[in-house]
Amino acid sequence: MRIAGWSAPPWVAVSMVALPLVVLLGSCELPADRLEFEREPVPVWRASTLKAAPEAPASLKVMAWNIKYGAGRIDFWFDFWGDRVQLTEEEVATHMAAIYRLIDEYDPDVLITSEIEVNSRRSAYFDMVQGILEHTRLNYAAYVSTWDSRYIPQEGLGRMDLGNAIFSKYPITHAERIRQEDRTDQPPHVGYFYIHRAVGRAVIDVGGREVAAYAVHTEAYDQDGTKQKHIAQIHELVKAETLPFVLGGDFNELPPLCDERVPGDCDGVLQLSGFNDERESSKGTDYEQPPYTPHVMRPFFDGLAPSITLERYGRTRESQQRYFSHTVLGPDRVSDIDGKPGFWNRTLDYLFVRKEDGWVDGSTAVLQKPGDLGIQSDPMRLSDHAPTVGTWRLAP
Amino acid sequence: MMRRTALSLFLLWALLPSAALAEQAAPATKPSEARPSERPEPLWALDAAPTRPAGSWSVGVFAPLRYAFTDAVEVEVHPLLSLVAPTALVRVAHLKGPGLALTGEYGLSVPTFGLSLTRGYLFPSGEETGKLGWYAIPRAGLVASVAAGAEAQLTGRADLAVGIPVAGETTVRSLDSFLAPLDLLAAPMLRGFRTHVGAGYDRALLPWLRVRTSVDGYLVGAQPEGDARSSPLFLSAHVGLDLRVGRHGRFTLGGIWWNWDQFRTEVRTGPDGYAERRRVRSNDFLPTLDFIWAG
Repeated sequence: MRIAGWSAPPWVAVSMVALPLVVLLGSCELPADRLEFEREPVPVWRASTLKAAPEAPASLKVMAWNIKYGAGRIDFWFDFWGDRVQLTEEEVATHMAAIYRLIDEYDPDVLITSEIEVNSRRSAYFDMVQGILEHTRLNYAAYVSTWDSRYIPQEGLGRMDLGNAIFSKYPITHAERIRQEDRTDQPPHVGYFYIHRAVGRAVIDVGGREVAAYAVHTEAYDQDGTKQKHIAQIHELVKAETLPFVLGGDFNELPPLCDERVPGDCDGVLQLSGFNDERESSKGTDYEQPPYTPHVMRPFFDGLAPSITLERYGRTRESQQRYFSHTVLGPDRVSDIDGKPGFWNRTLDYLFVRKEDGWVDGSTAVLQKPGDLGIQSDPMRLSDHAPTVGTWRLAP
Repeated sequence: MMRRTALSLFLLWALLPSAALAEQAAPATKPSEARPSERPEPLWALDAAPTRPAGSWSVGVFAPLRYAFTDAVEVEVHPLLSLVAPTALVRVAHLKGPGLALTGEYGLSVPTFGLSLTRGYLFPSGEETGKLGWYAIPRAGLVASVAAGAEAQLTGRADLAVGIPVAGETTVRSLDSFLAPLDLLAAPMLRGFRTHVGAGYDRALLPWLRVRTSVDGYLVGAQPEGDARSSPLFLSAHVGLDLRVGRHGRFTLGGIWWNWDQFRTEVRTGPDGYAERRRVRSNDFLPTLDFIWAG
């Protein structure tokens, strides 16, 4: 055939179209990041202006907080108390400003966050990692993405970039993420776009001394034991840690005050189900609360120093409620079950350090309300999780 | 199942702008009057200004049905997808001369029902956050084609579509989807308007083979108040081939590149060794594919 006076075989014409297509295909953004790694470094972020930090401290104030992607007490559709899918720019900015205030009121040296977003449609594409660095006294951050999808075709969620983050006043010299197992109880096309959990680990140079911080957020809705696998893996990771470390985050599990596998062992000791923030409409859906299995938390309480010991929790609701850290039900709504306004109703968030380090006496708490450890902010209005805090005493 | 089927149909319709820059089809020349020694006429240019002779028709797997009521008036509809999103376009030849054609394109679509079938996927399904009002989307444009040598022509086009609320409340936000054509489709409804300018060149290489290229730019309205804003500019470039199949058919194959702002960011290492996040435009490539019958 002749093309514009040039004689060439027919396949040349097809190639003229096909070749650019192949090249351009390489520039496309994939629908979702499947996080295909076992362990890999992640970048470290820094505040544009560094704030002074005490030199060579003997202890570090630590906070672990699931900040619910800056949504405050806005009811999203999967909690079944509302049908919101997206925040406006103003809503996110307002909530984040309040989060910055509470962080600065407690003034942690190390902040461990979960459900923090950096470029998600539902939080107006707000970069919360940089926001915390610019508006608090924290200087460095390691962000561990666990949910990175170009578009999630469910309820118009759209683009998503969510994960865990570790912030520090002191330099983070190395940061990495460690992959956790995916759920096996989802269809492949759902699993492709779903969260791919990972543990964040950061090495922090505290005045010439290296310590490690772990950020975790285990699975919440699985029906196939994935959460229990996550928790077991986390324990193995910290068992192998050689540096002094703090482990914090949202474990989505109750404290091991009893063994739910033994019939009647938890009766009257620990509420396992029927929490007052659950709605009948959630039953049978993908977001129904699966049964809790507190026994899986036992190794942490046996082998490490928890910020809140089992003795402090006690064996009654009255003694435990002071350490509750989660409720889906906000203070402006009333429970279908007990008719009361929302308040923290169970403990899912924890901080652990090595036994040889421990916590400064009287420093550990769950910041549930204004006045706790001197804060003025109301944590009930800032997230569906309360911050868990403590001063980590570093062994010499 | 019903919703998935309807969703598939709607996505099919949404991909039409990219999958079928072969929107128009030209009938293959009837060979019955050609002498064996004569070279067959080349395929007519797709996506060009000239209207076809009265009684001509064409339809594709993705391309809509087009029928010429007169030598100067064509009507275009998509029979299947109009069940969920009625859309019609009238093409009126304002100027038709040797080497030059100017055609007006005037259309109307009512996409609400089709879009509402995607609630739960592309849009929220909540009572409060998932409301989609009824909109009429009128569209008007001009297409001009000039001869550019033997069996080749240049085509320019410009059009504007606006969303006119007709009934009901809309609480869904902008689409911000993963496909530029989808966002452009929904833009008149959710972002107020969509403007378009484009230029194309096509040429017959052989009687049975034609190559087409085009570049297009689109400007849409801003996202609703309160939403994060992306660039309103969309760009595309297309390359395609038309291959004659038999007397009345043609197979179109090509690719279209989209450059647009879908809030994508990249993480780079700054000069101080720390990470920086920067917004970048997305580049997507979609295949274009169709089979068109004409008579």
